Amino acid sequence: MNFLSLIWLIFLPVIAAIIIMFPQFPNHQVIVRRSAKWFASFHFIYALLFLAFFDTSLFGMSYEKELTFFGMSWLKSLGISAKFAVDGIALLLVVLTTFIVLITLFISKIHIRSKHKLYYAMVFLLESSVLGILCAKDMFLFFVFWELSLIPIYFLVSQWGNSEARRAAIKFTITSFVANMFLFFGMLILYYYNFAVSNVLTANIESLNMDEKIYPLWFQVTVFINFLIGFMLRIPFVPFHNWYPDIQSKAAAPVNILMSGIILNTGLYGLIRFNMQVFPEIFKLFAPVLMIWGLVNIIYAGALSICQQGIKKMVSYANISAAGFIMVGLGCLNQTGFNGAIFTAIACAIVYSALFVVISSIQFRTKTTYITALGGLGQVMPKCMYLALIICFCAIGLPFLMMFTPKLMVLTGAMLSNLDQQLMVKIAAITGLCAIAVSAGYIMYFFYKVFCSVLLDQWKKIKDLSPQETSVLSVLCLVIIYFGIYPMSIIQIYQSVSSIILDVLQV
Amino acid sequence: MSEVLSAQIAQIAGAYFPELIITLFIIFNLIAGQFFSTYLYKLSKWFTILGIVLALCSTFYLQIEPEAYAFNDTFLTNIYTVFFKILILISGFCLTLLSRNMIREKRDRAFEYFAVFLSGILFAMCVVSSVDFISLFVSLEALGLSCYLLLSLNKNPDAKQLTFGYIIQNAVVSSLFLMGLSLIYGMCAQTNFDLISLYFSQNQPQILLTFAMILMLCTFLFKLGLVPFSSWLPDTFEGASHPIGAYMSLIPVLAGFGILSRILLIFLNYTFTIKIVLASIAVLTILFGSLSAIRQENLKRLMAYSMSVQSGIMLLGLCVFSVYSLSSVLFYLFCYVIATIGAWSAIILLYNSAKLEKLDDLKGVIYHRPYYVIAFTTILIALAGLAPTCGFAAKLYIFSAVARSGFIFLPFLIAALVCCVIMIYGYWRIIRALFRRIETQIEIDTRVISSKFILYACALATVFACLFADKIIQLCQLAAYYM
Repeated sequence: MNFLSLIWLIFLPVIAAIIIMFPQFPNHQVIVRRSAKWFASFHFIYALLFLAFFDTSLFGMSYEKELTFFGMSWLKSLGISAKFAVDGIALLLVVLTTFIVLITLFISKIHIRSKHKLYYAMVFLLESSVLGILCAKDMFLFFVFWELSLIPIYFLVSQWGNSEARRAAIKFTITSFVANMFLFFGMLILYYYNFAVSNVLTANIESLNMDEKIYPLWFQVTVFINFLIGFMLRIPFVPFHNWYPDIQSKAAAPVNILMSGIILNTGLYGLIRFNMQVFPEIFKLFAPVLMIWGLVNIIYAGALSICQQGIKKMVSYANISAAGFIMVGLGCLNQTGFNGAIFTAIACAIVYSALFVVISSIQFRTKTTYITALGGLGQVMPKCMYLALIICFCAIGLPFLMMFTPKLMVLTGAMLSNLDQQLMVKIAAITGLCAIAVSAGYIMYFFYKVFCSVLLDQWKKIKDLSPQETSVLSVLCLVIIYFGIYPMSIIQIYQSVSSIILDVLQV
Repeated sequence: MSEVLSAQIAQIAGAYFPELIITLFIIFNLIAGQFFSTYLYKLSKWFTILGIVLALCSTFYLQIEPEAYAFNDTFLTNIYTVFFKILILISGFCLTLLSRNMIREKRDRAFEYFAVFLSGILFAMCVVSSVDFISLFVSLEALGLSCYLLLSLNKNPDAKQLTFGYIIQNAVVSSLFLMGLSLIYGMCAQTNFDLISLYFSQNQPQILLTFAMILMLCTFLFKLGLVPFSSWLPDTFEGASHPIGAYMSLIPVLAGFGILSRILLIFLNYTFTIKIVLASIAVLTILFGSLSAIRQENLKRLMAYSMSVQSGIMLLGLCVFSVYSLSSVLFYLFCYVIATIGAWSAIILLYNSAKLEKLDDLKGVIYHRPYYVIAFTTILIALAGLAPTCGFAAKLYIFSAVARSGFIFLPFLIAALVCCVIMIYGYWRIIRALFRRIETQIEIDTRVISSKFILYACALATVFACLFADKIIQLCQLAAYYM
């Protein structure tokens, strides 16, 4: 399979962005949009080919490739090289990323009314940087893409959002830079401590593994906490979550989908790659704390979700709340919980992106997102209502829909977990079970307020979904139903990898 | 007889060939100024470019293996000094091209301007090559003098007032340097760097040495715009014409770092606390400079604080002092030169077309000149030290050198990292203004091929220097090793 090169996969969007930004490229919106869609479709199929040829029984990384410049590695004298490789988890997220970008481009038509060239170039740049984060095999390469992703986010939020978007974007960018500095600091001291211990100057993530080397405990804890702060901001987690609803309520609708679909996953991926794989001992130490933290996240963000006035903020808080399940799953330290956590992340990305697609159609027609100004839209938009119903049921976690299996796995994992503080973990699992009821509360409250109550006069003339929106939402619903019925088709892809990770962590 | 002569010529060519060429062209410029005056004022620019290009070529003929000494062992040529000389000459070349509009306005003084300009470059190269305190002092003073003359070219009375602070402070600081020098001479009766180190390695250094060192460091803190002496920066830059602002942010910085590392090499063996002091100064500079930069509305003032912050980062790398950290500083300087020339060329393009220099004036430019905006943004990202440009590689290298040097410097590292974020916001304000869509009448004049060429070349160079960073880093490591 020589034609499957990760370097092409990562840098094709950059090339596409450069071609679109070229002065000779026609500045006509239809041409720009269509060529972007064609490219994204091609890219998605290319990513699917990686999945098709992927050997699921393989325990390590595959598709390894190094980027060289005329035969020279990048920063070889510092022990840093531009190596890319994927394992099962990363590959799933890669395919998910290309899929979400494709979905986003299909609904961009009605929301993006100006600066088409810049918009599509920035979406592709964001896609490329996220793919780079997922495939990077080197710590500093990871960080390069991690910082690079902030630049397109800033432009996407500030240029096409509402009047307050600029302020929200700058706030997010600055807080991210501060958190990134913690990350960077952790990486730097890890890099040099590793050099001091093993006398090899390297930043390769696999060779930084802590289990074979002797590091002082305080050092591990320091680096672990630095990493944790950097990644928690992206997931987002409760003390650092403020930026997420803020940005989501102000950005344009396609950007909402990108944020919930691809940006949040990068935080989770970093957590697994670094905190879990590089510091298994410390992760074991912190696991109960993370679990409780996840529960606090579920309940606190869920409660906030019900209090919101805008539907975008409501769904964003719901998203944060659902991300709490990921942490509970990771904290179980067993196969069931871990697999459930990864599945939760993927399901969250698809379900909440779908919810943002629904919101985007509503926002486009009514020009408002305030919950008091909406109501009874189900009477004029029946297609939208039925599709949204499936998505909402999925978000709650009803059986045969995508979110059911992961939540079940996470809670089973928590019950089966044999951590030191057994009683506490069991209590946590039971609390999590109750938390599902909370999630049913806010999701159904959202659905009821938007689609079911009394129809206001000014909305009587709005039209139902266009064929394009219907097809996008139907595809998403089909995905939700398919993976609800055959969850193993996702789980088997990363099962071997997760068993490797868990072998190290197993108590 | 001829053999002796050719041997002498070879020795001269081996040690100070570029300086000699630049001196010749200073004389050419001065003589030509008497004959050609206003009509052929453009000739001055071509003379200067020719001189700098010839000097650049002549650096290949320098004798670097083994090191060459000249003028009674006061002047040294090796890979390290050649590295600095090439950087100085490249920035001189770009600055000559950027001076186009300025000499159009002052046609009668064009030859004079370039003579002073070239002498600044000459003395900067001499500063880098000095291995003796006397020659160092003379070169530093002459460099300062060239800067005064360039600054005083601006006839605006406000500008005179603004730049006067620089002249006074420079005089004070020079006298401090002289005082420190006299103390050292009093202790060991030597002025040569090697002999001084030899003396202190054999005799127990006195407390007076620390005092002398602090007095001497004041000069460099001043020239590089570091914290207790950075107050001159914004006013001087605001008063100076644009190409001279660029000149002030490049040539003295290159000369200063070139010689500062050599002086620290003598002193750092005897006192460890000075490392901590320098690291604190570096962090305070980054903090102070970035906090001031985010309030500025004038682009020149912003660039002044930017220079201060960048020198702070480089000082943090330098005070750790190992071969590794020195090479990281050299790499950072390389990236700093590219990015700073690019940023100044963008500002000069804006000023030349509409006489605008405020940050708000950049709003709406994206309508007319999207590629100008993209190039400027790339360069600002490089200055901020973010991902796809050489600024990131440089920052990574310099901070990794600090992290490597031991746990004592870790608090400074954290503080510096956090302060850098503030400066990122400072640069971000420019980017934000560039992408604002407001209807304006500003048209950036793109007929000036040379400034535009430099802008786009620098924008590309920042990206390519990141991709091919390994090659440049190897070069820097070689240069640092030879020091």
